[in-house]
Amino acid sequence: MSTGEEGIADRIGAFGHEAVRNGWTTERFALLGLLGLVLVAFGPTFQVYLFTEFMIIALFALAFNLLYGYTGLLSFGHAMFFAGGSYGMAMVLRDLTPHVADVVGSGIAPLVTFGLGAVAGVLLVLLIAIPVGWLSVRLEEIYFALITLAFGMLVFSVIIQNPGGLTNGTDGIIVTLGITEIAGIEFRLGDRQTYYFLTAAVVLPSVYAIWRVVTSPFGTVCKAIRESPDRAAALGVDVTYHRWMTFVVSAAFVGVAGVLMAGLANVASPYHAHWTTSAIPVVATVIGGATFFAGPIVGAFVFLYVRWGISRFPALEAHWELFFGLMLIGVVLYFKQGAAGGLLMLRGWLLDVRGAYDRGGTDAAVAYARESASARLGRTGGPSETEGGERE
Amino acid sequence: MDLSVILWFVSIADIVIGLSLGSRLFLIAVGLSLIFGVLGVLNFAHGAFYMIGAYVALAVTNHLIDNFWLAVVAGALAVGVVGVLIEVGTIRPLYERAEGELDQLIVTFGFVLVIHEVVRFVWGSQPYSMDAPASLAFSVSIAGSTFSAYRLFVIGAAFVVMAGLWLFVTKTYFGALVRGTSSDREMASMLGVDVPRLYTAVFFLGSFLAGLGGALSAPLQSTSPALGDQVIIDAFIIVVIGGLGSMFGAFVGAMLVGLMQAIGPQFIAAGHIAIPFVAMVIVLLFRPEGLFGGIGE
Amino acid sequence: MTTVLETDGLTKRFGELTAVDDVSLAIQDEGVTSIIGPNGAGKTTFYNLLTGVLEPTEGTIHLREGDDLVEITDAPTHEVARRGLSRSYQITNVFEGLTIRENLQVARISHDGRTMDLRSRAASDGPINEEVDRLLDLMGLTEMADRPCDALSHGEKRSVEIALALAIEPTVFLLDEPTAGMNSTEAREIVSLVQQLDDDLAATFVVTEHNMDVVRDVSDRIVVLAEGAVLADGTPGEVLTDERVTEAYLGSEAV
Repeated sequence: MSTGEEGIADRIGAFGHEAVRNGWTTERFALLGLLGLVLVAFGPTFQVYLFTEFMIIALFALAFNLLYGYTGLLSFGHAMFFAGGSYGMAMVLRDLTPHVADVVGSGIAPLVTFGLGAVAGVLLVLLIAIPVGWLSVRLEEIYFALITLAFGMLVFSVIIQNPGGLTNGTDGIIVTLGITEIAGIEFRLGDRQTYYFLTAAVVLPSVYAIWRVVTSPFGTVCKAIRESPDRAAALGVDVTYHRWMTFVVSAAFVGVAGVLMAGLANVASPYHAHWTTSAIPVVATVIGGATFFAGPIVGAFVFLYVRWGISRFPALEAHWELFFGLMLIGVVLYFKQGAAGGLLMLRGWLLDVRGAYDRGGTDAAVAYARESASARLGRTGGPSETEGGERE
Repeated sequence: MDLSVILWFVSIADIVIGLSLGSRLFLIAVGLSLIFGVLGVLNFAHGAFYMIGAYVALAVTNHLIDNFWLAVVAGALAVGVVGVLIEVGTIRPLYERAEGELDQLIVTFGFVLVIHEVVRFVWGSQPYSMDAPASLAFSVSIAGSTFSAYRLFVIGAAFVVMAGLWLFVTKTYFGALVRGTSSDREMASMLGVDVPRLYTAVFFLGSFLAGLGGALSAPLQSTSPALGDQVIIDAFIIVVIGGLGSMFGAFVGAMLVGLMQAIGPQFIAAGHIAIPFVAMVIVLLFRPEGLFGGIGE
Repeated sequence: MTTVLETDGLTKRFGELTAVDDVSLAIQDEGVTSIIGPNGAGKTTFYNLLTGVLEPTEGTIHLREGDDLVEITDAPTHEVARRGLSRSYQITNVFEGLTIRENLQVARISHDGRTMDLRSRAASDGPINEEVDRLLDLMGLTEMADRPCDALSHGEKRSVEIALALAIEPTVFLLDEPTAGMNSTEAREIVSLVQQLDDDLAATFVVTEHNMDVVRDVSDRIVVLAEGAVLADGTPGEVLTDERVTEAYLGSEAV
């Protein structure tokens, strides 16, 4: 170890040390996160686009995980709600924009129509989710996965069928967000930066709302049902009804993600309803760690940014699915906690390193880091189910 | 009902096409059902297995030896071996887990992605076609419609495989072990059945059948990396309709779905997609055990 | 003495087999009633009928609710529980991945009819957690309240399970083999716990049990089931000296 590196380690350690000692609370870190969020908006256009997509997929996966990680039901048909949101939005924009302009004036019509489209998208999703959920929650485990898959593909085939010219068949519906004018200032809603802020303004409150759902009495009962449905029933919980309601809440938030996707992709596509789209939140959630609230968010981040990273290498670009396949297998077999669990373990480890630093300075910290790392690497890769902190 | 009334809506040609589709679907669905019936594993990668069978058969005829029948055997065996490797390496550790069924589904879905990419890496994205064996490269005329003899041969092959499996499961010692283990794993284990080995053997058999189906179907369809994703969903529909775990159910389900796909589009444009899913939903809701239960039925 | 739970001609057949055969019983609110019988006598099926897990072939079940006996014969499990019939399981059944505190929160949320409550926070909700704290204290679990249940010993899980069942403030508490898998010291502790709870709480306790020492110590009344039917019914003194009872047990052991 050269003195230069020790210097850097020293400085980073000292900085982190200072920050924590000076009372860096969760709020301050949240503020830092918000600042970062604003900074991203001024990055390269593609990065803004990518981060917008990440937020949408994160919401999609988070809402999916209400049903999977929290209630124990694996849906392979959540794409139907993603598409429901997309198509609700797209149909309103296509058919109602002139009428809205008649009422509110053409200046703010695009913005108002977008709002109406969002409401329509979520309502359409509820219209599908209430009956489909009522029927699906009668089944469990594999059978639940299969029936949601079937319902999802039914929605897909309805879209392809193009009833009454509503869905425009395999081409889907082009989404044009238009130019809004408020008090003489024009802005394009579809502008990457504007849409980024719009997405953040919808996704952040949605994430908070889902957090409130999982920490509420409702969410606590969900977790109990995941652990033991018959025990929950013996305590007076109507398990089927509770699963149904969870299904509907989960679907509604997926619908919000679908609404946002229509605006980002500029199209409501039948592909949004295909079962391969249903697989996206499954992959993101499992890789991220279904037992943690933030797991799906971490998973969505990995999903989009690893894909982007792979696309930097032309030789690998076409084969990013291979990587996710291997990760999926690896996580399920060896590390059920997923990436979020990994991050928590890393945090615990960093805290230990800091403890060593407090006791004996840089040398002790480096020695501890080296020892614990080699101990971990030397171990065989068995399941580490018991490690990694709190479950949600 | 008067048969001629049905025939007024549906031609003999449609029925033969439907049975031909059904035969190919049967060969993939029966292995899926067999594996679920004995191991309790719903193998999402089964469609990918079918696809490997087709590709291996293609590769053998193109590069190794121009013998169709050897290529079919090679395709089936290759998939059987792949199946065994996957079962032993990644599915076996999950049998004892509490929520193992869903974990198995997710792991096998991981293999869907992996196999898809490996296939694309080795063979590229372009579709391949394969010639039917020379001995069957002639046409047959039925009720005014012309069919390739190979198409009729595959229908026949599905019937032969069904009969063979039925004899195998009901008449042989191994079949008795399979039936016993599928109905009560603990009891079979106590009676001295080597359950892990039996599971691997069944997984081999199921995978082998998927490979056989893929290889036999190669002359009837274009083989591309999207093939696996298409057929696995059909296979799910079939095993649900027929009854997860039932081989006879897989046969009836496959023929029904084949006919629905051949005839459906005449009534609703997207009918070939929608009708099978409607049937699947109805069966799941009203008879989740399927039309036929039990491995030996 | 009032009747809290009553079965009339309760019968369950599985095909040819009659698992519960014309059982008519009235459980009174005083003392602990034990239901015993050799293996396969129909105890577990009887419990599953009472709690709505299985539907009876014939007969009725009534449960006390205030001044009335309400019919619960075909009610689903969760409704039976809400009406005041609680149970523990032979193989401990708690929410393994949740902490003890969360386990009890679930029971209180259910009892208070707040399973659809999305606004409050379970962890800091006053009415829910006051009762949870009281139960933790009652069962001596306060110290370990934040430990996940999958990290507990068998005996500790048993305590959590009893606390869970009590948390919904039952009229009748069915304990299914409460000493299964326990040594004699632990079994004795369970006996005194059940007796103490029976004295302190409004709930009426019904116990199935294998261990004859436990049965003798804990029961005020014993009902013997054999081949699905009531063979004997009375005080421990009467029943345990009954020749037919001895015969039923010895007979079963001889098999």
